[in-house]
Amino acid sequence: MILKSDPMGDRQMKKRTALAATAAAAFLGVGLAVYTGNMRREIVLEFGMFTGSNWDVANANSFVIIDKAIELFEEEHPGVRIHYYSGVRKDDYSEWFSRKLLAGEEPDVFMVLGTDFNQFSSMGVMKDLGTLMDQDENFEPGRYFDSAFRTGQYSGRQYALPYEVVPTLMFVNKSLLTKEGIAMPDEDWTWDDLYEICRKVTKDVDGDGLLDQFGTYNYDWLDAAYANDAEIFETDGDECYFANDRVVEAVKFIGQIDDLYRGQNVTQEDFNAGDVALMPLTFAEYRTYKTYPYKIKRYTNFQWDCITMPAGSHGENLSQVDTLLMGISANTRYEELAWEFLKLLTYNEEIQMEIFRSSQGASVLKAVTESEEMESIVQEDMEEGDTVISGKLLGQVIEDGRIKPQFKKYEQAMSLADSEISNILENDRTVDSSLKILQRTVNSFLQQ
Amino acid sequence: MRLMSGSKEQNMINEKKDRRLALFQGAMLAVNFVAVSFICIFIYITTEQIRAHYNAREFLDGVVTIPENPQMNLIICLGLMGALVLTFAVRHFWISLSNSWTVATLLVDFLVCAAVIYQLDFNYNGLLLLAFANVIAYVRDGKSKLLFVVLAICGYLVADYNLLSIYMPLYRMADYIQYYPANAQQYLSSINSIMVSLNVILFIAYCIYVINQQRGTIEEVNQLYHELQTANEQLHEYADMSERMAQTKERNRLAREIHDTLGHTLTGIATGLDACLALMDISPEQTKKQLELLSKVSREGIKDIRRSVNELRPDSLERLSLEVAIRKMVTEMSQVSDVKIYFETDEKHLKFDEDEENAIYRVIQEGITNAVRHGKANRIWITLKKVDGEIILVIRDDGIGAKEIKSGFGTKHIKERIEMLRGTVTFDGSSGFTVTARIPIRWGETYD
Repeated sequence: MILKSDPMGDRQMKKRTALAATAAAAFLGVGLAVYTGNMRREIVLEFGMFTGSNWDVANANSFVIIDKAIELFEEEHPGVRIHYYSGVRKDDYSEWFSRKLLAGEEPDVFMVLGTDFNQFSSMGVMKDLGTLMDQDENFEPGRYFDSAFRTGQYSGRQYALPYEVVPTLMFVNKSLLTKEGIAMPDEDWTWDDLYEICRKVTKDVDGDGLLDQFGTYNYDWLDAAYANDAEIFETDGDECYFANDRVVEAVKFIGQIDDLYRGQNVTQEDFNAGDVALMPLTFAEYRTYKTYPYKIKRYTNFQWDCITMPAGSHGENLSQVDTLLMGISANTRYEELAWEFLKLLTYNEEIQMEIFRSSQGASVLKAVTESEEMESIVQEDMEEGDTVISGKLLGQVIEDGRIKPQFKKYEQAMSLADSEISNILENDRTVDSSLKILQRTVNSFLQQ
Repeated sequence: MRLMSGSKEQNMINEKKDRRLALFQGAMLAVNFVAVSFICIFIYITTEQIRAHYNAREFLDGVVTIPENPQMNLIICLGLMGALVLTFAVRHFWISLSNSWTVATLLVDFLVCAAVIYQLDFNYNGLLLLAFANVIAYVRDGKSKLLFVVLAICGYLVADYNLLSIYMPLYRMADYIQYYPANAQQYLSSINSIMVSLNVILFIAYCIYVINQQRGTIEEVNQLYHELQTANEQLHEYADMSERMAQTKERNRLAREIHDTLGHTLTGIATGLDACLALMDISPEQTKKQLELLSKVSREGIKDIRRSVNELRPDSLERLSLEVAIRKMVTEMSQVSDVKIYFETDEKHLKFDEDEENAIYRVIQEGITNAVRHGKANRIWITLKKVDGEIILVIRDDGIGAKEIKSGFGTKHIKERIEMLRGTVTFDGSSGFTVTARIPIRWGETYD
């Protein structure tokens, strides 16, 4: 009797179950409606970029890579749209971005110019990528060129990732060297070789008493200092080392070369006319002027090629490496998406390979820059006879390249030093003592 | 009547005081509102100016950092200040606000102030003075007052721009002021510092006012205390006087009693004895009768005296016989303390001198009290025996006892009482607690 269920209780149970089921269904329905409502609401990720090349060479295809990346990204993340402003020139980009920043309307992901990076990082407007990098299991910083990766660091924190990298190479006028009976220098040539070339090439050909053939154009003390393994600034920019032996050597070496020119100024015209043997040139310029259509505009009356920079007595064949950086706004609402997009642009091999196809720089990923595919892409646009710089050499130049120190007063300190050093060289002042004075001046500026 | 009109007057004064206090608080709130609005609106307008004149990048070079979004900043700060106005209004117009709600609104104030200060990147921390001023006025409870004061002091110490800017980038009002031409800069800086000073001055004035008011209260309290003391002294005098009066009354009663009983009887006896002297030779028979009568009278006199003395005894014990009194006390103690008390005696007729009875009664009382209070006893055994002309009183319990007998455990009183009767007393705390008292009884003349 007791075991038999009570019919009244049973009915109540049923009623209660029905009620609970209805409530659950309603809850689920509302939840679903809210969810789909959210789904339908499109997330717009803003991307900030400038039109044209970062390397001051003509660039017709600046949107190609970005458009491709956006297409890939939107496919992978349905409901997310990436919007960018087109038509901001590189010269205007800094101001445009600053105005956006002031109003609190900065894009979520953006390109950042080398001249802005230190200021923006110090202001805290760029997201510290440390946690995002640590949390992402698929992210391995070692795949970037070390120099390029470090360019995105400020005060020991990673605020930006490299997108495109450009090393400086030495432009060699092969026709002139052949004419003077000089062999093309090796990859591991030194200052002595450079000086020897300058000495041989610099002469008065037409006999009017003025020099009309020169060894170098634009090869300056900083190029020499980098190749002499000189540290110019302390990492966080509290101190400078202009009186350091290696810097002194570099400045003296430039002085020696200048002496060969007997006070005459070498100009771009001399170089364009084919009367200069050597000129530092960025990898971007190299690619632009080696390929159609720009190769018919410049350097057409002589054969030329590029090699590494000459090594100083204490250094190696190294040069400055410039990097185009991209960062995330510290105030972004879509941190994860912004990180994914940033990663797609800078870390995805397919997109990075596009840099060789549609831009003039080199990829920041070792695997891409050192690949055979890259060589064949670069070769495509070149004439049969032209040799391509090998991926391995390019990779090495980038990996070991010197980067600008990242601290807030770098640009100002550097322009101060630059003008003072050209002053020293022009007026033949004593290099050692003048550099000591310069070091004091710059130090007091840095410590202000 | 005088008292009522006095308190009404007091109320009116208090109301007046409160109104002045509210005026102070309102003024401080207004100053802070203006100061915060000034900073927010100024930054917003300046930002718009900079953007309109395309000076953004140049401006950014001179700043530490910028607010995330000046417009949002303005809205948030004004909203938060609105919340402060609201809590102020609640405190002043919600008359029946309970104390805990007041404390809650003050806590809200603290949080809002902290939020505004944070939102303004610590450019203005005068708001803490406002919060602090409210605490001074409202919080009477010592503990919460201390908490608030600690909060305010810590806040004021920590929320310092110069201190915090070491650890994180914070925007500076001065950076925005510097955007304007020199003479405008002076005006703007002055406005800013005038508002800061005004706030501090108001705060100080407010504090002085509150301190003055409190000093007034202290003086009032002092005066009241003085009055109370005078009244107290008067009361003492009254008490003395009434005591003296009671003594006199008692003496009068004693005199009357003695006169009425002893005097009467003795007079009767004296007269009777005189008659006996006269009769003795004439009629010995008569004399004998007379003496018998006198004997009867004197016995009655004794009875009278006993009755009088009994009436004069203060304690209830004395109106009962010792045994009854003891049993009554034992029953009462058992009832009130959950302790089982056993009293036994082999003496059928417990009748001693008054001081002896008193001592026995008190010792038993003290013994029970000790057993309950110090011994935590559950059972107490009391025996009263007569051995060799001595009374032996034993009080034993099953409590925790005491390893060492310390004076002051109530044992001192017992000892004193027994010694006054030339008796001896021993204590034993080894198993429970046992008091053994031996009292030599004066088995002399009883009245019967």
